[in-house]
Amino acid sequence: MNLWLAASYAVGLCLVPCADLCLRGPVERRLVGLELAGVLVTILLVLLTLGFHRLPFIDLALTLAIMLLGASLVFVRFLERHL
Amino acid sequence: MIQHDIIAALLTLVVLSCWIGALGAWRMHKPMQALHYLALPTGAGALSLVVAVVLETGWGTTAAKMIAISAILIVTNAVGAHAAARAFRVRKLGHWQPRQEDGVEFIPQGPQA
Repeated sequence: MNLWLAASYAVGLCLVPCADLCLRGPVERRLVGLELAGVLVTILLVLLTLGFHRLPFIDLALTLAIMLLGASLVFVRFLERHL
Repeated sequence: MIQHDIIAALLTLVVLSCWIGALGAWRMHKPMQALHYLALPTGAGALSLVVAVVLETGWGTTAAKMIAISAILIVTNAVGAHAAARAFRVRKLGHWQPRQEDGVEFIPQGPQA
């Protein structure tokens, strides 16, 4: 196991508190958990790309980073008015 | 070997920033406080990862994409966090304009101004 994979495992474990944020408590707290999980998964995809030496897969992280804003803004809009 | 050690230190910084961000957001009672912990992985984490990726792969397509990812994360996190904070306030008060008791200096708009 190389450094990048070790770091990816450590970052992957950070998703446990994010899951707790998303699954329990008021809806505002769940939104924070969702946004945090998106950032962490983006970093995780980069680490896995380097860890497995599959450099073209960094496009997945780039795509997720681009789509994160739209996804969070949709949830924010619903949270503001409808939920 | 020095380069390997620098990459190891940078990846440690990435992991630490992610963990502090996740645990900080998890521990905070108010969602507005938890929002602030998003800045750690998107700021320190992503920037450290950029340097580590550049050291590992050199200047090339992967480094350029990593810089783009980092820039997008930093910008969109700021926008998303402010939009979320605004939504929290609208949900609580029904509007997002400052109130007199907030202690924020502002110029009221409309005919009563």
